Amino acid sequence: MKMKRKQPKVDIPSVAMGDIAFNLLIFFVILAQSQDDSHIQWTPAKADNLKGSGYTRVTVTIDKDQKVYLNGQELSEGQLASRIETYLGTAPAGQRKVLLKAHSECTAAKFEPVIEAISQAGGELVHILDKKIEQ
Amino acid sequence: MKFRRSTKLLVDVPAVASGDIAFNLIVFFLVCASTQPDTGRSQILPKSEQTQQQKEQDEHLTVDLKRNAILINGDPVKVSEVKARVKAKLAGKSRPDDRVVIVKSTDDVPYHAWIEVTSQIEDAGGIITLQLEEERTVDVPQ
Repeated sequence: MKMKRKQPKVDIPSVAMGDIAFNLLIFFVILAQSQDDSHIQWTPAKADNLKGSGYTRVTVTIDKDQKVYLNGQELSEGQLASRIETYLGTAPAGQRKVLLKAHSECTAAKFEPVIEAISQAGGELVHILDKKIEQ
Repeated sequence: MKFRRSTKLLVDVPAVASGDIAFNLIVFFLVCASTQPDTGRSQILPKSEQTQQQKEQDEHLTVDLKRNAILINGDPVKVSEVKARVKAKLAGKSRPDDRVVIVKSTDDVPYHAWIEVTSQIEDAGGIITLQLEEERTVDVPQ
């Protein structure tokens, strides 16, 4: 007489599904923040009456070596206006914010053409600064 | 007669999910660090255009910024006095066109000095306009 072997029941473990979905969600949230400029070295200048800058798609940084970066990518001042214009597209007023992170010691020869380029591209300039602490 | 229970129950904290928890904590703090809000000052600048220098200077308040000096309409002032001086000059001017302040900086002016002065001008009610010198290349025939 032949005995029929009982088929073992194999289920995909579904206990960790929630964890996996959560991790995937966070992974894509981090990826979406593609404006990584954490490698750029700069020290913000200090000022009073500061406000939260809010969300923007465009950040221009001038580092301590006076190099200009747009969203973390180095580029020349000549390319800046057109590239900012491309990023801003047809965004309405109020959504055309451009953050300027300029190193506190960089000179007018460098930051003024950058400000001009932002203005030319129709960007709404926001200087990123540190709060001044009264002595 | 009392009997002492001889068998102690050994209860372990479930350690299976520790790796997952640690990973989630790392990611959570990573996200928090990268979304730290920035603070700053917004500045409204008119779109750049080429204008006659003399006409502009006659009509508007002019602030000359040099590395070690600030001049308002040619008069030297201290950094701490800029706001009060600009406020006094703009008193009674309500139209935005009249409140335009032309800022002219030499190439060696550092950003921290520039932002300090322009912040004071804005706090005094002025509308900043930058005056940049146009660079021209002239070919000299030989």
